[in-house]
Amino acid sequence: MTPSLKRWLPTCIGVAVFLLPILLISPKTYVTLTISGLAMGMLLFLVSSGFSLIFGFLSVLNLAHGALFAWGAYIGFTAFNWINKWTGWGVSDSFVLNIAIFLLALIAAAFFVALLGIITERIVIRPVYGSHLFQIFITVGAMIVLEEMIRVVWGPDDEVMPVPLNFIGSLDLFDVVVAKYPLIAIALGLIIYIVIYLILKKTKLGMIVRAGVENPEMVQVMGHNIYRYFTGVFAVGSALAAIGGGMWATFVKSINPGMGGEVIVFALIVAIIGGLGSMTGSVVGALMVGLSYNYVAYLIPKAALGITMILLVVILLIRPTGLFPEGT
Amino acid sequence: MTEGLNPVQQFRLKEREGRFKTPFFFLGILLLAFFIATPFLFRSFEITDVVLKIIIFAALVASYDIILGYTGIVSLGHVLYFGIGCYFVGIFMAKLGWVSYGHLALAFFIAVMISGILSVLIGFFSLRIRAIFFAMITLAFMEFAFILASQLRFITGGDDGISFKLPGILSLDYSLGRFLGIDFTGRMIGYYLILLICLILFLLMLRFVNSPLGRVLQSIRDNEQRSIAIGYKTYIYQVIASTFASCVAAITGGCFAIWVRYVSPDSSLSVPIMLDVLLMVIVGGMGTLYGGIFGASFLMVTRAFLPKIQGLVASLLPGFPFAIRLSERWLLYFGLLFILIVYFFPKGIVGTAQDIFSRRRNSPH
Repeated sequence: MTPSLKRWLPTCIGVAVFLLPILLISPKTYVTLTISGLAMGMLLFLVSSGFSLIFGFLSVLNLAHGALFAWGAYIGFTAFNWINKWTGWGVSDSFVLNIAIFLLALIAAAFFVALLGIITERIVIRPVYGSHLFQIFITVGAMIVLEEMIRVVWGPDDEVMPVPLNFIGSLDLFDVVVAKYPLIAIALGLIIYIVIYLILKKTKLGMIVRAGVENPEMVQVMGHNIYRYFTGVFAVGSALAAIGGGMWATFVKSINPGMGGEVIVFALIVAIIGGLGSMTGSVVGALMVGLSYNYVAYLIPKAALGITMILLVVILLIRPTGLFPEGT
Repeated sequence: MTEGLNPVQQFRLKEREGRFKTPFFFLGILLLAFFIATPFLFRSFEITDVVLKIIIFAALVASYDIILGYTGIVSLGHVLYFGIGCYFVGIFMAKLGWVSYGHLALAFFIAVMISGILSVLIGFFSLRIRAIFFAMITLAFMEFAFILASQLRFITGGDDGISFKLPGILSLDYSLGRFLGIDFTGRMIGYYLILLICLILFLLMLRFVNSPLGRVLQSIRDNEQRSIAIGYKTYIYQVIASTFASCVAAITGGCFAIWVRYVSPDSSLSVPIMLDVLLMVIVGGMGTLYGGIFGASFLMVTRAFLPKIQGLVASLLPGFPFAIRLSERWLLYFGLLFILIVYFFPKGIVGTAQDIFSRRRNSPH
């Protein structure tokens, strides 16, 4: 394989994932599927970006990420119900009030889960920096404890996630049926991606974090207390997981304590496909996984997860370090 | 005798002379005697069941320990191969229409072959890049297999699983007669057959880790850079270790299916089982093989007694639903225990015991 072909092959796969299904699916269905695929991709991006950032910067394989995701969903659920009981914004006709309560619930989830992340990082992960083996064990332990804490606090059963009134239903754009919530999820995901991207690219803080992904020792040599940044990045990663959790819960309209376990596998796959520690990689990987999952789920329902695995294997074979190996 | 031998050979010679004198050798004999006598000692199916599950999981954990403790790479999907073993026995016994010894043996054979091929493939394209990828990809494959098993209803029976009958002397209605006051049914024969298989597997694994190949694996675990510098293609050795361990895991899975006569995704290849195996390895001690026996005993016995503890809490604190809810969440305490052990006893029961023994032996008095 020539080098130039090798360089362009991932792009080709990305475009193929996006365009090939159009041959098999009628255009209207294609648009509907694409939008729900993009929404799923954006939600996956929120989970896997935190995971990927934590791995890139701290080189910790944070298996507790799924549990933090579930915590986000549960805190969002509780916050939404509280605010709704006080103000009734969730059931009001006004779209602005609906958005407000949704964002407030997400912010509450992000805030509390970031705190939880800081506690986890300080108490559980800090003592084992540098040892991959023990990090994996300790984050598995943290995952069990966090997940079980959800069961203790909220009970072990499934709960119905409340959805703001105006998020339910679908729009009719030029005869194409488009559900409303996926559009909101795509917009919100894009905004979050742009904010993170700008912070990473344009601020000094972002520069330090990007440098830390490349070489943590060097950052320390330059006089920055890397452990403080570790905690910060872990908190941000946890907050992203929490936002992802809240939005995912609104997407599937139910929450259960074990929901993190299913999503963490997708986050792993997306992070590997995109390149560990790369934001752009996360978003591209997440969109590829989300789109291919939705197309295949429509064509051959049973093979939906299989296509994700195939994507993972193919990308690993041609690009062992992922699509975007640099810390961007 | 020791002249002309290199240090490694001298070390092995010394070790071979002393191998019948270690406390672990006697402990092993004692344990084996206990396992053989269990059905006669307790005469209760519940206890025999717990003991046999300890035996099977001890072998499974030992095979996991070869990857984790002897090679130093983390697999999070080892239970996948256990599940493959379970499912092949289940499918061959229930779905093909014939129930014979030949089919049972064929099921084991195919399960081992598929596990071997799969782990070679996974190993080659993940270990080649970075050992940490191995952890992620094995986890992804296990989750994939779990979903596959619960979705392919026409083969695997979906979430309900498959219950099946076993051939000839292993079937439930076969009886060999009474012996020392025990009915020798197919179940008892199954017990001893599985004990024998697990014993053979265990000895095989001991041989594997103490072979020259096993030494290379340990050198990779201790210092991968140096092993590469000496000239070993480390990832090939890692693949060999993980393949061997997967084949062993497939056989233990088959044994598990023979004992419970039932397979389902939750009981054979789910994440909770993987967590159990991880906990057993940590409690028992990594890099010891024997640790699996202790870890499995600890977890299985605790789990067998947990309902009683829960009942006690419920009767002592009747008015506190929160306390009852806390007592129901035994996994929470296992998680905390997990973290505490990694902090304070990273070598587990057997590793810590070995340290104490060797310190006593090497102390100058």
